Amino acid sequence: MDDLITEAWDARDVILGGLLQTLSISALAIVLGTLLGVLVGVALVYGAWPLRLAARAYADVMRGTPVLVLVLAAFYMPAVLGLHLQPFAAGVLALTLFCGAHIGELIRGALGSIPRGQTEAAKAVGLTFFGVLAHVLLPQALRSLLPPWINTCVEMVKASTLLSVIGVGELLLRTQEIIGRNFMTLQFYLLVGALYLVVNFAIEQAGKALERRVAFR
Amino acid sequence: MPSAETSAPARPLLAIRGLRKSFGATEILKGVDLDVRQGEVVSIIGSSGSGKTTLLRCVNLLEEFQGGEVLLDGEPVGYREQAGRRLRLKDRDLARQRAQTGMVFQSFNLFPHLSAAGNVMLGLRKVKGMGKAEARAVAERWLARVGLAERADHAPSQLSGGQQQRVAIARALAMEPKLVLLDEITSALDPELVGEVLATVKALAGEGATLLLVTHEMRFARDVSNTVVFMEKGLVAERGPPGDLFGNPRHPRLIEFLRGTRDH
Ligand SMILES: Nc1ncnc2c1ncn2[C@@H]1O[C@H](COP(=O)(O)OP(=O)(O)OP(=O)(O)O)[C@@H](O)[C@H]1O
Ligand SMILES: [Mg+2]
Repeated sequence: MDDLITEAWDARDVILGGLLQTLSISALAIVLGTLLGVLVGVALVYGAWPLRLAARAYADVMRGTPVLVLVLAAFYMPAVLGLHLQPFAAGVLALTLFCGAHIGELIRGALGSIPRGQTEAAKAVGLTFFGVLAHVLLPQALRSLLPPWINTCVEMVKASTLLSVIGVGELLLRTQEIIGRNFMTLQFYLLVGALYLVVNFAIEQAGKALERRVAFR
Repeated sequence: MPSAETSAPARPLLAIRGLRKSFGATEILKGVDLDVRQGEVVSIIGSSGSGKTTLLRCVNLLEEFQGGEVLLDGEPVGYREQAGRRLRLKDRDLARQRAQTGMVFQSFNLFPHLSAAGNVMLGLRKVKGMGKAEARAVAERWLARVGLAERADHAPSQLSGGQQQRVAIARALAMEPKLVLLDEITSALDPELVGEVLATVKALAGEGATLLLVTHEMRFARDVSNTVVFMEKGLVAERGPPGDLFGNPRHPRLIEFLRGTRDH
């Protein structure tokens, strides 16, 4: 135990650096993926058919592909086209595309479950399509979406570990590097596991607090 | 109460001319003609499926229609002519025209994520471009007029059906529409809540609002209307002052219809 504490203390900068990478990758993927997801969801429900078809194809392909494959594809495929993405950028791209597809499906479901009377009442007031969407439909959709969205956030943090395969120095890769030096395999994997647990627990608690704040009274 | 045919302006506020509407192959409105003058209260009665709701929805551009025209204050709504072709207006123009008519629905359709005041304020803010404080003041004034001053910050789910419907009325009227459409606004209410909503509408009618309403409440139609219209199978079958229509109905289907309703 003392060994672990000493080793962990010595490696604190490396671990902290990895943790920060993990957090920024996840945060970027969640923010960008959510924005993308809103667009995809709206396209799925209200898009003219070519747009709807494109959004449907995108969502199905992304959701049907293992995230690891997406990560590898985002890293190696642009290079084939002569476009060089840094591992970090490629990883965030892959996670964003994955996240966008999932959130898009969530938004589609949430929009679809809002009664038609809401749209009609909003139109009757004189709102344009985008006004109806921005002020009546999305606020309601996002509320009912909050619990699965929090879930998706947690999934993104977990999925960020896959970026270790393309050499992004996130928490898991950094931990593996440390283990490579001191061979304290079990101890450091437990430590890193606990760190992921703390992050995801924090996300869930923040989500619950948010839910309480925006719940329909 | 109000008597019809007093100082009729030359042009009706709402003129429906030969309105035809089909859902797929089924023609629902078969050439409806109907005028509503400024300050007039017109009630539409008729059996289920005769097209009353569809007519109101066409006027408020929630449905497309295939023939005839609807003129609001002289302006054709929903469509424009171009090189002899009839084209549906763009979203922005439809929205502008819809803002000139208010609509109150059978099922209230309040926005559940907004308070009572928020429901009234949304159109004021986002359509009329009012500032927050001004919109709030207008909303409070209208909520007070429908007797809900104390409920401004309640969520719709915290209000009774009758209160929700009165918020919906305030939401429609706060926009100062030229015309208000009301579609069976008491049908979804428990009987003991009907009175408060009808009293609200009656008060608005007394203050000069122009109303086109669909109702199954015959006594209310008789009390509040200048004109009653009987629709049958997608057409206006009979129209006239409530005294004539209820007291001396001529159309055989109207006679039958009135016999079927208990409280006229
Ligand atoms: N969206 C729709 N698609 C297909 N048919 C429709 C649609 N809406 C209404 N109809 C049909 O149009 C006819 C007229 O309906 P409408 O709702 O206008 O009648 P109504 O006079 O308002 O009846 P009620 O008194 O029951 O409210 C009905 O036969 C109905 O089935
Ligand atoms: Mg109806």
